[in-house]
Amino acid sequence: MKDIREDIAWAKINRDVLVSLENPRKLYWVIVFGALSLFSVGLGCEIYQYQVGMGVANLNNPNVWGLYIATFIFWIGMSHSGTLLSAILHLMHADWRKPIYRFAEAMTTFSLMTAGLFVMVHIGRLWQFYYALPYPNDRGTWPNFQSPLLWDAMAIFTYLSSSVLFLYVGMIPDLAICRDNLHKGWRKKLYTLLALGWEGTDRQWRNFRVTYLTIACFLIPLAVSVHSIVASDFAMSQQPGWHVTSFPPYFVAGALYSGCAAIITLFIILRYVFRFEDYMTKSILKKTVRLTFAIAMVWTYLNAVEFAAVWYGHDMDAKAVLIQKATGPFAPFWWGMVFCGSVVPLMLAFKRFQTNIPVLFAVSLLLNLGMWLERWMIVAPTFSHGYYPWVWDNDQWPSLIQWGMVMGSFGWFTLLFMVFCKVFPSVSMYEVKEMVYHRSLHLKKNETAGQGAH
Amino acid sequence: MIDSSSIKQLAGHPFDRRDFLKVLGWSGAAVALSGCGNTSIENGKETVVSYVEAADYVIPGVAVYYNSTCAQCDAGCNINGRVREGRVLKLEGNAASAINRGKMCGLGQAGVQHHYNPDRVREPLLRKGDKGETISWDKAYALIAEKLNGVSGEQVAFLSGAVSGHLKVLLGNYLESLGSKNLYVYEAVAPAVQRAANKKAYGTEMPRFNINKAKVVLSFGADFLGSWVSPVHFSQQYAQFRKGVDGQRGVLVQVESKMTLTGANADRWLVVRPGTEGILALGIINALGASGVTLSGDVAAAVQGYDKARVSNDTGVSVEHLDKLVALLKERTPSLVLAGSAAEGYAHGSQNAAAINLLNQVLGNVGKTIEASASVPFPQMIPAKGNTAALKTLNDDLAAGKYKVLFTYATNPVFTAPGSMKFKANLAKAGFKVAFAHYLDETALEADLVLPLDSALEDWGTQVPEYMAEGAQINIQQPLMEKLHANTQGMGDILLTLVKQREADKYKDFADYYGYLRGSLLTIKGALGSGGTDDDTFWDETLTSGIIKLAGSAEQLSGNASAAGLQLPAAAAADAQYSFHLIPSVTAYLRDGRHTNQPWLQESPDPLTTIVWDSWVEIHPKKAAELGIVEGDVLEVSSRTGSIRAQAYLFPGIHPDAISIPLGRGHEALGRYAKGYGVNPFQILDAVFDQETGELALHETRVKISKVGQRIIVVKDEGAAGGKPEQRRIALSKSTDQVKLSEEV
Amino acid sequence: MSVSNLLENWSQFRHFHPVDDKPHDPYKWAMSIDIDACSGCNACSVACYAENNIPVVGKERFQHGQQMHWMRIERYWPDHDFDFPEQGAEFLPMMCQQCEAAPCETVCPVGATNHTADGLNSQIYNRCIGSRYCSANCPFKVRYFNWYDYPTDETVWPAEMNRQLNPDVSVRGKGVMEKCTFCVQRLRAAEVTAKGEGRIVREGEVQTACQQACPTSAISFGNLVDPESRVHKQWQAQQVEMNVDEQEKDKEPGGSHLRGYRILEELRPYPSVMYLERVRESAI
Ligand SMILES: Nc1nc2c(c(=O)[nH]1)N[C@H]1C(S)=C(S)[C@@H](COP(=O)(O)OP(=O)(O)OC[C@H]3O[C@@H](n4cnc5c(=O)[nH]c(N)nc54)[C@H](O)[C@@H]3O)O[C@H]1N2
Ligand code: SF4
Ligand code: SF4
Ligand code: SF4
Ligand code: SF4
Ligand code: SF4
Repeated sequence: MKDIREDIAWAKINRDVLVSLENPRKLYWVIVFGALSLFSVGLGCEIYQYQVGMGVANLNNPNVWGLYIATFIFWIGMSHSGTLLSAILHLMHADWRKPIYRFAEAMTTFSLMTAGLFVMVHIGRLWQFYYALPYPNDRGTWPNFQSPLLWDAMAIFTYLSSSVLFLYVGMIPDLAICRDNLHKGWRKKLYTLLALGWEGTDRQWRNFRVTYLTIACFLIPLAVSVHSIVASDFAMSQQPGWHVTSFPPYFVAGALYSGCAAIITLFIILRYVFRFEDYMTKSILKKTVRLTFAIAMVWTYLNAVEFAAVWYGHDMDAKAVLIQKATGPFAPFWWGMVFCGSVVPLMLAFKRFQTNIPVLFAVSLLLNLGMWLERWMIVAPTFSHGYYPWVWDNDQWPSLIQWGMVMGSFGWFTLLFMVFCKVFPSVSMYEVKEMVYHRSLHLKKNETAGQGAH
Repeated sequence: MIDSSSIKQLAGHPFDRRDFLKVLGWSGAAVALSGCGNTSIENGKETVVSYVEAADYVIPGVAVYYNSTCAQCDAGCNINGRVREGRVLKLEGNAASAINRGKMCGLGQAGVQHHYNPDRVREPLLRKGDKGETISWDKAYALIAEKLNGVSGEQVAFLSGAVSGHLKVLLGNYLESLGSKNLYVYEAVAPAVQRAANKKAYGTEMPRFNINKAKVVLSFGADFLGSWVSPVHFSQQYAQFRKGVDGQRGVLVQVESKMTLTGANADRWLVVRPGTEGILALGIINALGASGVTLSGDVAAAVQGYDKARVSNDTGVSVEHLDKLVALLKERTPSLVLAGSAAEGYAHGSQNAAAINLLNQVLGNVGKTIEASASVPFPQMIPAKGNTAALKTLNDDLAAGKYKVLFTYATNPVFTAPGSMKFKANLAKAGFKVAFAHYLDETALEADLVLPLDSALEDWGTQVPEYMAEGAQINIQQPLMEKLHANTQGMGDILLTLVKQREADKYKDFADYYGYLRGSLLTIKGALGSGGTDDDTFWDETLTSGIIKLAGSAEQLSGNASAAGLQLPAAAAADAQYSFHLIPSVTAYLRDGRHTNQPWLQESPDPLTTIVWDSWVEIHPKKAAELGIVEGDVLEVSSRTGSIRAQAYLFPGIHPDAISIPLGRGHEALGRYAKGYGVNPFQILDAVFDQETGELALHETRVKISKVGQRIIVVKDEGAAGGKPEQRRIALSKSTDQVKLSEEV
Repeated sequence: MSVSNLLENWSQFRHFHPVDDKPHDPYKWAMSIDIDACSGCNACSVACYAENNIPVVGKERFQHGQQMHWMRIERYWPDHDFDFPEQGAEFLPMMCQQCEAAPCETVCPVGATNHTADGLNSQIYNRCIGSRYCSANCPFKVRYFNWYDYPTDETVWPAEMNRQLNPDVSVRGKGVMEKCTFCVQRLRAAEVTAKGEGRIVREGEVQTACQQACPTSAISFGNLVDPESRVHKQWQAQQVEMNVDEQEKDKEPGGSHLRGYRILEELRPYPSVMYLERVRESAI
C-alpha cells in the first residue's frame, strides 16, 4: 500500500483539488445545511441567555462552571493536533503529512475560534469582556497578571494568530495556483490579494521555506504551552481534583488525542465529499490511526498515573472526588470516558481495522465523545464535591440552553470548516506535487539501480 | 452610622423633630385636604426638584433613627427604624429595651416587607357579588352606620387578634357604645393552656422566667429560642445561661416528640411518646423523692406509681437518661422547668402543664428562676389575650346565625381555624362582615366590606407586652415614615371615627387617634412617673425613647402548686386506622401564617430542615424506610377531618409514631408571595379540646399517610451530604470537661 | 496609565496583610462567632438581606441552587450513625471569611476582587466580568453570582418593595459576583467619621448588621489590631494566630482546651473569622 500514487500528473493534481472548490458531492450541502441549523440553535440559546441572565444555563453555587468551560477545553484540545502535528511532522520530514496537513491546520484555527466563543458565552458580562485585556486606559486599571485565566487569554490569542499565520503562509503557493486557474469573479480577486504576488521565483521559494520553518519551530513550544496553561486554570487552583501536578502534560496528551481523532473523522468526510480518494489514501490514514493509538495509550497511562497519585496520596478531599466520579451520579459519564478513551482505541491496534473506513469513522467519533466526556468529568465533579460538604450538590443537570450551545458550537465549527474547504484548497497542491515528485525520483532511482544491476 | 444617641445631636440642626411628627401624625388629613403640594417625597407624587426643597425632616444622605415597637408578634420588642430620605429602610433593635436589648429576630426585621408589601389593600372595597368595588371612606363609614342601625348589641360581634394599649381601650369603648359585649379575641397559637396552668401554680398567668439564673433548664417542648412567648428576650438569657453562673455552663435538656429549634440546641434531647410529658414529669418527681428530695404528702401520693420502669415504658425515655437527669437536677440548683405548647397541645394538656409546673415547685425553683413579673397599673391597657376557646364560642354563635354585623381585625380564622370547625361556612351566616385588613387574606376575602389599614410603620399606637422582661413597660408605636398609600387609615383612627358615629360629643376633642393617644397619655403622665415634666417635653421624650418604663408593682407570686386534682391519663393507645400523631409545628419565622407573604421569611430556610417556600412532612428515617418513603415523595396525610398533600422530609428529630407539618403555609390568598406555596395543616385538625381550658388540643389529631406516587425535589439549602460534615473540620464541639469557659473573654 | 506606572504599583496591587513592610494599620477587621451561643435562628441572615440589598430569588431559582444568602446558617448532624440526634444539632453561620490570603483574589482575571488595607476581601461590582473563577477557587463556597438581573425583575423588588433598598449599598445587576462584605459601607462610614475626628474607630462603634441583630450575641466583630477590641482579646485568649495554617495550641498532645478554631485553616487562606466550638455537657 502506497501513501500516494507516483504516477499522478501534476496537472491532474491541480484539477482534482481545484474541482473541490467548485463541485463537491451533494453531501457537502447537506452537511453545510445541518451545520447552519445547529449553529442557529446555539445562537438562539445565546441570545436568550444574554437577555435573561446566566441563570437559564442552570448553573448555580457551587456549580459555577458547566458545559461551557468543559466544551471550551474540548475545542482548545481539538485545536492541537492540526498545527502541532503538522509542524512536528514538517520538521521531521515526514512527507505523508503533505496531503492532510492543510485541513488539519484549518481545523486548528476553527476549533480555536470555537473555543473562543465559549469564553464569551461563559462570562456573566459578555459586554465587558475587554476588561480582561491589558490595555492602557484612563481608569488606570489593568487585568490581574496573576490569574491563569489571563495567561489563558494571552496564550490562546497568540496561538490563534500564529496558527492563522502558519496556515496562511503554507497556503501562499497554492493561492497562486488558484489565482492562475480560476475564472474571473470575487474569488479571483481574493486569491490575487492573498497570493501576495507569488511568482514561484527561487528567491520567493527560499524565503518561503525559511519563514515556514521558523513558524513551525515557534509553534511547537507554543502549542505545548497553550494546553499547559489551560491545565493551569485547574492545576493552579486549590480545589480537590484539580490541584494536580500532572495536569499540564495530561492536558497536552488529551489535546493531541482528541485532535488526532478529529483528523480521522474529517479525513474520512473530506475524502468522500471532495473526492480526494487519490490523495487522502488509506495508507496515510493508517499512519494517522497508528499515531492516534500511540497517543491514546499515553493518555491512558497519564490518567492511570493521576488516579494512582490521588489514590495513594494524602489528599482525602481529592480522593473523595475521585471516588465520587467512579461511584456517584457522574459515574455513567466517567466510565463512559474510560470506555471511549481507553478501551475503544484498542481496536486501532488491529491491522484489519486500521483501514476499515466505516469502523474508523465510528471509532473516531467515539474517541471524540470520550475526550469531551473527559473535559466534563474534570470540571463538574469537583464543583459538586469540593471541600465544603454543605454545598455538595449533584442534582444540577445542565439545562437545554447549555446543551444547545454545545451543539451550536459543533455547527459553528463545521460551518467554518466546510466553507473554508470550499473556498481554499484543503489539500496542499504544491506539496503533494513535491511528494509525488520525490516518490517518483525514488522509484526511478530504484529502476536505475535495477537496470544497472542488469 | 447614626445611632439613636446622635439623634439628640440633630436637635441643633435645622431639623424639627416635632414638626416631623406633626406632619406624620396629620398626614392623612393633610393629603385629604390639600390633595397635592405636600412636601412629601413618598406620597407617590415624587417631583424632580424634591431634594432642592426637601421637607425639613429629611437630610439627604443622612439616616435618622426613630424608636417604635415591633408589630410582627406579641412579644413587643422595641425597635429602632432606620429612615433615609423619608423611607424606612431597616428595623433594628432598641438597645435601651429590657425585652430585646437592641436585638431582633428575623420575623421582626421582615416588618419592612409588611409595610412595603405590593399586595396591600389600598382602597376601601365593597363586595359586589364575587368582586370588590372601590368606595370612598365616607361611603364606607355611612354603610357601617346604616348596617348597625336597628341592630341590637347582641347581634354585633368583633373578632380581633391580640390587642392591648389604647387600641384595646378604644375598641372596648366602641363595643360599649354599640351595647355589645361580644369581643372575641383569637390567636391561633397562643399559650392559653400555659396561662391557666401558671395561674394555678404560681398565682400569675405570665411570671418571669429567668433562664439566665438557672443552672439547668428542663424544657418540655417550650421553644423559647424559636416561637415561645418572647424569643428574642429568651435568646439573650440563653446566651448568658450558656456562659454560665460562676463559670459553670448552663445545661439544657429538652423533652419533646418533635425537635424544635430549642431542642436542637439542647445538651440532651429526649424524644418522648407524644403526650406523655406529664408522666415523665411525675416520674422525675418520684425519682427525686426516692433520691432524698423531700416531697409533701399530696405530691408524694400523686407521683406514687410513677416508678422509673413504668415511666420509661410509657414515655420511651430510658432509665439511664432518667437517672442522669434526676441526678443533674438534684445536684445543680436552681434549675428551671418550662412547659411549652408541645406538652400542652393535648386533651390532657392542662394536666401535663400542671405536672411540669409541680416539678418546679419540688425543685424549689419558684421565687428563684421563676419570679413575679411587674404589671402595668392600667388594667384597661393590658393585652386582651386570645385563644381558640373564644373562637369556638364565636363559631357556635355564627352557626346559630346570631350576628347581623361582624367586624374582624388582626386575625385570620378562615385560614387558622381547625378544619373541623367549618368556620368559613359559618362565617357566611353573619349578616354584614367588615374586615379591617392590610391584605386580602382568607378572612378579608369573605367580608362584605374591607377597610385598608395603615401598616405598623405608618401608624400610631401603644402596646403593652404580655410578657414583661424586667419592670413594666408601655411600648410606643409611631410612624417611621409617611403613609405609602393615600387611602389607608390607622386602626385607631377608624375606631375613633366609628365611636364618634355613636358618641360624637364624648370624643369631639380628639381630631384623630394621634390626638387621642397624646391626650390620654398626658392625662396619666403622673402615674407614668413624669408628673413634673411639661407636656411637650414629656411627649418628646416619650416618642424619642419609644418606651415608657414604669416603676410598676410586682404581682404576687404564690409558690403553692399542689398535686390536687392531678390526673394524667395513661399513654395513649395506638390508633389502628390513624396510626400517626400529627404535630403541627410552629416555626419562629412563620408562626400562624399571617406574615407568610414577606419574602424574606419565605426564603429564610427553616433552621432544622433548611426547606424554603414550601411545606413538608417530617418523618423519622427508620419509619420512612419501613414504609418505603424517600425524601420528596408526596404523601397524602389524612385525618378524620380532611387530608392534605406534602413532600416527605426524612428527619431524625421526631418520634417514629409522629409526623410533623409546619403551620403558616398553604394560603389561598394573602398575595403573590404567600398564595399557592405549601399546605395548611390547620385544615385537617380534629376538634379535640383541652378538658380544662377548652383550648384546641393542637397535637391531638391522628393521621394516616400514604404515598401518592409522585416525587419532587425538596427545595432546601442543605446539600447532598445531608448536613453531615463528612469528617471535615467544620462544625466542631468539645465536651464541658475539655474546656475552661471561665478563662474565656 | 503607563506600563512603568503599573510596574511601580505592582507590589501595591498584590499585597497581603500583615507583612513586615505593611502591617495592618490602623485596622484589620475580623470576627469571632461562638457556635455554642448561636441558636441557628437565622436572624443574622435576614439582617444581611435587609442591610445589603440581597435579592429574594423565589422558589424555582432556590431549587436550582441560585439563592443569594451572603450569610447562610448550616445545620449539622453528627457524622456517625444515630437513631435520634440526642445531642441536638450544630448550627454554623457561614459567610465570606475575608481571607487574608484569599484564594479567590489571585485567580480573578480582572482584579475585581482584592485585598484592602483594612483587611477585607473587597468586591468591585463594576469591574467584575462574571468569570466565576473566584467562586470556583473559594474553598467555602460563599460567593454568590447574579444569575439573573434582579433589579429589573418584577418578582424581586416590585414597586414599593424597592423603596426598602439601602442607598448605601449598590444593587447588583446580572452577571456579577457578590458576597459578604463585612458590611463595608458601615465600616467606611465609621472610618471616615473617626478620621474626621482624628482618631481611630473605637470598639463597639461599628457593628455588622448580622452582629447587631443576633439575639444571642454569638457574633463579635471589631478591629483585630486594636488591643482594646473584644475580637482581639478573644483571638488572643483562644491563641488563634492569623498567619498560620496550624495553630500552636492544636499541636499539644491531647488537644487544647481552647475552643477557637478556623475552618479549612489547613488550606492556608488565613480566614479572618474565628469560630468557637460548640460545647456539650458531659454530665448528661
Ligand atoms: N458653580 C459651580 N457649578 C457647577 C460645578 C461647580 O463646581 N461649581 N460643578 C459642575 C459639575 S462637575 C456637576 S456634576 C454639576 C452638578 O449639578 P446638578 O446635577 O444640579 O447636581 P446637584 O445640584 O448636586 O443635585 C441635583 C438635585 O438632585 C437631587 N437628587 C438627589 N438624589 C435624587 C433622586 O434620587 N431623585 C431625584 N429626583 N432627585 C435627586 C438633589 O436633591 C438636588 O436637588 O454641576 C456643575 N456646575
Ligand atoms: S420576637 Fe421578633 S417578631 Fe416578636 S416582637 Fe420581637 S422582634 Fe418582633
Ligand atoms: S471566604 Fe472565599 S470569597 Fe471570602 S475571601 Fe476567602 S476565598 Fe475569598
Ligand atoms: S466573577 Fe468577577 S470577581 Fe470573580 S473572578 Fe470573575 S471577574 Fe473576578
Ligand atoms: S458582615 Fe454584613 S455583609 Fe457580612 S454576613 Fe454579616 S451582615 Fe452580611
Ligand atoms: S442570629 Fe445569631 S444566633 Fe441566630 S443564627 Fe445568626 S449567629 Fe446564630
